[in-house]
Amino acid sequence: MTHRGRRLTRLATTVLLAVIALVFAFPLFYLIATSLKTKADLFEPVPSLFPPNPTIDPYISVLFTRGFGGLLVNSIVVGLSATFVAICVAFAICYPITRLPASPRLRRFVLNWALSLRFLPPVAVVIPYFAIVRTIGLYNQLPALIVVYAIFNLPLAIWMLRGFLDEIPLEIEEAALVDGASRWYAFRTILLPLSRTGILAVVIIVFAFDWAEFMFAFILTATPQAMTFPVGVQGLVTQFEIIWNDMAAGGVIAILIPLSLMLIARRHVMSGLTFGVIRDK
Amino acid sequence: MPGHRVSGAPARPFGSSTRVRTAWTERNRQEQLVYKLLLPVFGTVFVLTTIPFILALIQAITVEGRGFVGLENFGRALANPLLYESLKQTGLYAAIVLPTEILGGLGIALLVHRTVRSNVVRAAIYIAAMIPIVIPQIAVGVVFRLVYAADYGVLNVLLGQTGPSQPLWLSSPPLAMIATASVDIWQWTPFVYLVMFAGFQTVPSESVEAAQVDGATTWTQFRHIELPYLRPLLLLVLFFRIADVIRVFDHVYVLTGGGPGTTTQFLSLYIYRIGFKFSDLGQASALAVVVMVAMIVFYTIVSRFLPADRG
Repeated sequence: MTHRGRRLTRLATTVLLAVIALVFAFPLFYLIATSLKTKADLFEPVPSLFPPNPTIDPYISVLFTRGFGGLLVNSIVVGLSATFVAICVAFAICYPITRLPASPRLRRFVLNWALSLRFLPPVAVVIPYFAIVRTIGLYNQLPALIVVYAIFNLPLAIWMLRGFLDEIPLEIEEAALVDGASRWYAFRTILLPLSRTGILAVVIIVFAFDWAEFMFAFILTATPQAMTFPVGVQGLVTQFEIIWNDMAAGGVIAILIPLSLMLIARRHVMSGLTFGVIRDK
Repeated sequence: MPGHRVSGAPARPFGSSTRVRTAWTERNRQEQLVYKLLLPVFGTVFVLTTIPFILALIQAITVEGRGFVGLENFGRALANPLLYESLKQTGLYAAIVLPTEILGGLGIALLVHRTVRSNVVRAAIYIAAMIPIVIPQIAVGVVFRLVYAADYGVLNVLLGQTGPSQPLWLSSPPLAMIATASVDIWQWTPFVYLVMFAGFQTVPSESVEAAQVDGATTWTQFRHIELPYLRPLLLLVLFFRIADVIRVFDHVYVLTGGGPGTTTQFLSLYIYRIGFKFSDLGQASALAVVVMVAMIVFYTIVSRFLPADRG
């Protein structure tokens, strides 16, 4: 290719990528713009692209007047508890299959079982779970969501954690074991500190998934006592008359938490989404 | 950061590092420990995840007040013409989004891989591509309400069509399908891009250089050298995306609620409607069982190509 031809290609690519980026970014821009509009702005004959009188009133209205602050707390409580349970269980399952001489068949069985759950559509299991939760009196209670979320994110936690544990050489622990340390002591003082970054990544990604979950929360809760934030946001959308700025503010809040978490853990997001097939260095 | 690694899940031979204590008894003791540690927790979780299957099956073969009814619920579920309508629409949705996302993501990855050399720009694209993926589906629904809604949606504003004859993106049949599918494409093309871009980084530069010396065109270089490295990833992406299309619910529920008519009443929305809108839990359970069995079959086929087998 000639020098000039190459420069032309370069220019064309840059323009093309910029156009793609613009198309992808624009809806988010409009969401933020709408979330900063006043009530009066909503009645403009033609909606403006930029908020004419920017205000944070919609955020205050969503969080306090509409009481979504409580839903936010529910989401955080459910997310943190479910993540904690999932990580503990994942550790109990990953430790024997990565640190001990488990047979390859057992290892494969456990990992395959976990991965198969990822392919199960939630709508197929929500019906039996709904029946169970109602029978044992946990309908519209946070513990029901905590258990369901912990189970549903367990496969992800197992696969990510297994990836991190596989990278820590067995020899390090074995040295301590040869010196007479107990397995529990070696786990606590060697493995746990070494896998700290990995655990943090799993915590962040599992929490973000818990935060975003909608269908189970929608079906297993009924009142603000147990509703999560996404259920509240959905309620803003389907009401008879949509209050656009409040709805947009709810959307921005729902996005902000997973987005900031994922930016912190950006090196592990792909690994989380592809079950460790793609790993970032 | 743009340097990805596609891990082939390094399988470590466990025996090699335990040779310090080669005594068989020690080895046996450790193997016993595996089961002692694994069984209680894994057993509990396994039971917890299996109960729904059994319960769904029980619900599917019984009717409240009448007890065991055999396959009656299955018969009703499979005789419902709306089921086939829903399957057709789900298939159409998949036929729109899967090729667009995979070809689009692959195309952009190829473009960036070939033309963007700066690591800073590559890292910036990496972060930008991650943004749509991490947005909760419900919020994605909200975002696109603001795009497609009549009177307030920005699309019609930009098109200069806000009057009574404006296109109704969310409530007229072919448009609602396009609108919901476009949302899927918006959210998941970047995902395909990220996976494919990571795949391009695994192609050994020596083979690319050798091909270029031999005078390979851009196309033959892609077709014969890079594509073989990407094939396993393409399959993987396809499997994940198929599983995701079957579970599509949140953003469609927010945007159209499954309407107009049955245009966007995809499988998950259909089962939800049967179970919770019509309160026909028997029929919904029968559908759930059918879906579970179908997914088990699908997974059995797919798992041959997935990394679990290499673990």
